Amino acid sequence: MGCTVRNRQPAGAGLVVIAFSFLCATSAGAQSVEELQRDLKAMQAQLDALQQKMKKEEELIEKLSQQKATPAAPLVGAAPVATPAAVAPAAATGPEPGSLEQRVTEDVLRKIQPSLAAANKTFPAQFNPAIGLMLDTVASYQENGGGNFEFRSAEVGLSASVDPFARGYAMLNGTNNGVSVEEAAIVTTSLPYNLTLKGGRFFADFGRLSKFHDHDLPFVNRPEVLNTFVGGESQADGLEVSWLSPLTQYVALTLGAYNKIGADNTQTDNNVPRALSRFTYLARPTTFFSLTDANSIDLGSTLAYTPTVNDFNTDGTQAGNGAARYLSGLDVTYRYTPLGEAQYRGLIWGTEVLYNSEDWNVANVASPVFQREHAFGLYSYLEASVTRRYHPGFMYDYQQALDRQQGDLASYSPYFTVWLSEFQRLRLQYTYLSAPADHQSQFFLQWTALLGSHVHGFRDR
Amino acid sequence: MQRNVCHVIALSLVCLAHVAAAQKIKVVATIPDLGEFARRIGGDRVEVNTLATGVEDIHAVPMKPSFAVLLNRADLVVLMGLEMEHAFLPGLLEAARNPKVMRDAPGYIDCSKYVTVLDVPTTIDRALGDQHPMGNPHYNLDPVAMKEAARAMAEGFAQNYPEDRASFTKNLEALEADLDANIVRWQREAAPLKGKTLVSYHPDMVYFAARFGLQPVGTIEIRAGVDPTPSHIEELINLMQREKVDIVVRERHYPAGLAETVAQRTGAKLVELPMMVGGVPEAKDYVGLIDYDLRALLKAVQGGT
Repeated sequence: MGCTVRNRQPAGAGLVVIAFSFLCATSAGAQSVEELQRDLKAMQAQLDALQQKMKKEEELIEKLSQQKATPAAPLVGAAPVATPAAVAPAAATGPEPGSLEQRVTEDVLRKIQPSLAAANKTFPAQFNPAIGLMLDTVASYQENGGGNFEFRSAEVGLSASVDPFARGYAMLNGTNNGVSVEEAAIVTTSLPYNLTLKGGRFFADFGRLSKFHDHDLPFVNRPEVLNTFVGGESQADGLEVSWLSPLTQYVALTLGAYNKIGADNTQTDNNVPRALSRFTYLARPTTFFSLTDANSIDLGSTLAYTPTVNDFNTDGTQAGNGAARYLSGLDVTYRYTPLGEAQYRGLIWGTEVLYNSEDWNVANVASPVFQREHAFGLYSYLEASVTRRYHPGFMYDYQQALDRQQGDLASYSPYFTVWLSEFQRLRLQYTYLSAPADHQSQFFLQWTALLGSHVHGFRDR
Repeated sequence: MQRNVCHVIALSLVCLAHVAAAQKIKVVATIPDLGEFARRIGGDRVEVNTLATGVEDIHAVPMKPSFAVLLNRADLVVLMGLEMEHAFLPGLLEAARNPKVMRDAPGYIDCSKYVTVLDVPTTIDRALGDQHPMGNPHYNLDPVAMKEAARAMAEGFAQNYPEDRASFTKNLEALEADLDANIVRWQREAAPLKGKTLVSYHPDMVYFAARFGLQPVGTIEIRAGVDPTPSHIEELINLMQREKVDIVVRERHYPAGLAETVAQRTGAKLVELPMMVGGVPEAKDYVGLIDYDLRALLKAVQGGT
């Protein structure tokens, strides 16, 4: 700024010299009075323009000088107080060409350019997906089975944008049984009409907790009703389209077609081609009601329909009679989240009721007799947040056997979760299991940790 | 007859064009402070909805499906950035299925663009807590940083709606003039706070402290986002007694008990502060928020409680 002030005087003096020379030159020539007047007017206009420019520069210098005179901010790095006049035009149109502001800007840019260039260097790894690793391990003791240190899983999660039209993610799961692809899917991001298309292997949109990975469940074990009715996690190879309605009320609808639903569902082999009637089709509408700022209810229902269940097992024995299977569910989640202390207080009540209708062989393999059986099951849990760390809860789980050939199963599980941080969790759970010919107490201590990248997904809310 | 039909069609087209022009720009702001700025910069052209309320902890805003509906209909989303909304915004945007406001789309206006960021970590490691790799995101309590946020917001508005650039620029200038006048006043009023030391629950007073000359000494949390352990509290109390810390700030969404204990054991004044517009009834707008926080601190250091 100091340099500019010094330069201003020679510039003004030069101007006067030029003007004087110009005047002398014109007066020395044999020109008419009119020509002289015209030249004088032109010169006057030039002088006016230059004066205007100089005035503007003086104003700018004055403003910048005032800024410099403003007391320094307490910490280095805090933004200086800039006047609106200095900021707004820059924001809107950028500095005036040739102005002091532009020269200062260019000077600063020249100085920081090497750092910018270094930061902007492209490395091939910059396009790598975000990577996270979830470790889940459980120590358990079962009254009728003894104790065990169970390494549950080391699950690697990868996610990144594919291109402007899609993103992709994968969950690779290492367990005692080997490494498997738990999920690997492509999801569109820019379809019109609020549509999203998902393809590959993923957790089908069945109910609420079926879509949770084991380590993300609110309790140590997946409710038995989900294991039996859905087949554990709702893993499915297929295609799913979901639609968010344009209503002001949240209403979403998912439609899907899959080889089968359920990671542990052994009724169908993922690798065997099949007729269209042997795929499983799903429909799920969901909605949400905000009762007050702190109280809300999520409501959903699901129907999974398989027109023709498998007739034969892979060993050639008859597995079914080709009749349809209907698996339906209703899920309700109530949340109390006081906004002013959302991390410290809260309550969640989640319930899913499932109903299965399917033909089962009620005789023997050699002389099968098929009969339609209707089975029902549910789980319900209540969990409180009493501090940011401590979350006690209780889960009740009940199911009828799908073929109704065995008695009912029920379990009662109080549990206590301690969040050491957002990325590490301990959970203690007691389960009293009441199954046909099996009544026992079970104890679990689960230790879960997340390394690396994490996201708070809408699905896991 | 044909001519009449043409007239009707032309009139209809003009009406449609008029309706389209009159349609408001739907803006979703993540916090009330940005919501207020969006209203002031956008003026009559915008209709603003806000996700978080002023009483909430920005790191724990519930991911309500009704927010996904708002974002689905939004033309623009304005956010603090620096991963401040990490707990809820990415998930909601995924559910909203609105390409206009997806991350880094033109309608996704990150207001931290021109903010000089403090507390940028030199080491990224979860051992250091729930770090924000791009730096401390709680700049909304620094009015000068918020001027930069307003500038980024106006620029984003104008980029998306260039036909309204003049109006946005004019409104920005009015907002900046208002802030400038108050900044001068706040700097003058805050003079007694210069050099005073403070401990807060979470490192969200950093920008405010830097602007008004206070010195943050530590936090009740052991690390950002990690609840304190008894040994940390003992160490903190020892440090505070050694440093003769003047003030303990309890952000109103953090529990009262521990902050009270720390203040009692060290003789520091306990001050309860809102962190966002609407955090207390008096903080009706941004000027009211800074007024409230400054006066509460002044009251504490000048002999009140």
